[in-house]
Amino acid sequence: MQSPDEETLVERARRGDPDAFEALVVSYQPLAFRTAFVIAGDAADAEEAAQDAFVKAHRALGRFRSGEPFRPWLLTIVANEARNRRRSRGRRAALALRAADPGAPGEDPEAAALASERRKRLLTAVERLRDDDREVLACRYFLDLSEEETAAALGIARGTVKSRTHRALGRLQEELA
Amino acid sequence: MIELELRDLAVHLDVPPAPPVAGAVRARIARARRHRRVLAIALAIGIFALAVAFAVPSSRASLLRFFHVRGATVTIVDKLPRLTPRAPLGAPVRMDAPPFRLLLPNGRRPEQVYAGDGGYWLRYRGLLLFEFESGDGATLIKKAALGRTDVEYVDVRGEPAIWIGSRHAVYLPGGPPRAAGHVLIWQHGPLTLRLEASVVASRRSQSHGASADHLEPSTSWLSASATPPRNLEVA
Repeated sequence: MQSPDEETLVERARRGDPDAFEALVVSYQPLAFRTAFVIAGDAADAEEAAQDAFVKAHRALGRFRSGEPFRPWLLTIVANEARNRRRSRGRRAALALRAADPGAPGEDPEAAALASERRKRLLTAVERLRDDDREVLACRYFLDLSEEETAAALGIARGTVKSRTHRALGRLQEELA
Repeated sequence: MIELELRDLAVHLDVPPAPPVAGAVRARIARARRHRRVLAIALAIGIFALAVAFAVPSSRASLLRFFHVRGATVTIVDKLPRLTPRAPLGAPVRMDAPPFRLLLPNGRRPEQVYAGDGGYWLRYRGLLLFEFESGDGATLIKKAALGRTDVEYVDVRGEPAIWIGSRHAVYLPGGPPRAAGHVLIWQHGPLTLRLEASVVASRRSQSHGASADHLEPSTSWLSASATPPRNLEVA
């Protein structure tokens, strides 16, 4: 569901208003970059993918159906661009945890160390999953996309998102066992 | 449980801050738009050239170049069509019959004015002047000339003009291609004019006064101040 403001911006952009499209870019560039980064695994690739996706989205605005949500439509383009870059690179760089992640104030340092260790194991397990399993988990949990948005980003049916998520979580459990 | 852990993991992932891409995107869109505009213009010119080529039967598949001023187009082809003798100029009319003011060489009255071919023919001794309103942009005169023909863009007091220095084919509305010789076509205000005479172009400076057989290239050459681009002598 998009806000009336966003709907107005999209309509203005469709009519050729460059300021309206720029406002959409500014609003979506963090999500576009993060999505591209999670899929491509590389900051430079993610930046290029986000930029190309916005340019392509602008070109395709004429085909965008009025009243439809803009966010999943854009995510489809961003994810495609990111996947293309990942394919052309031949491999995807692994995601990493933030360095020297500080624990919460007053947190037991031993508990913090254990939590950090647990996260490392979890991320390693995620990275070992097949691309399609990893992508569906990344969209749902790392990017916090809805099932509908995940379906749009990955170009699959909403039902497939459900089943693939279920399967990926099962495989992840096995990896961690 | 594991879903919660994945959500927690998302918070700790090392994702660089999103770089601002809006400026670059805007610049690329503007560049693409300019590029598309140039392509559209090039395409329009290409389509126009093809339309002109296909409107001249003999030049199908043999369009080499074309020249255009408002209301008239000259296509350079590799083979001229079979040419027919000149047809009658049209119905004789009075000087004041045209809905626009006729331009007259040195203000001299023609031997006769004829209405025909979508405009008005002014017959003088040794030359023919054809005048028509071209403000609507429609191409009335089409010409085909061989590649070796002397065809060039010139200008007549800042207005675009085409000079054709030898035999070529002229297509007037509804008629077959006819032979034509030395021709100057130029725009003047809302009119396009076509002067045909047995002339030779000379780059020599001329200072003769106008006479029945001689046209002086001065601002007075036409009473409405059109000046030919070069010195013209009636042969």
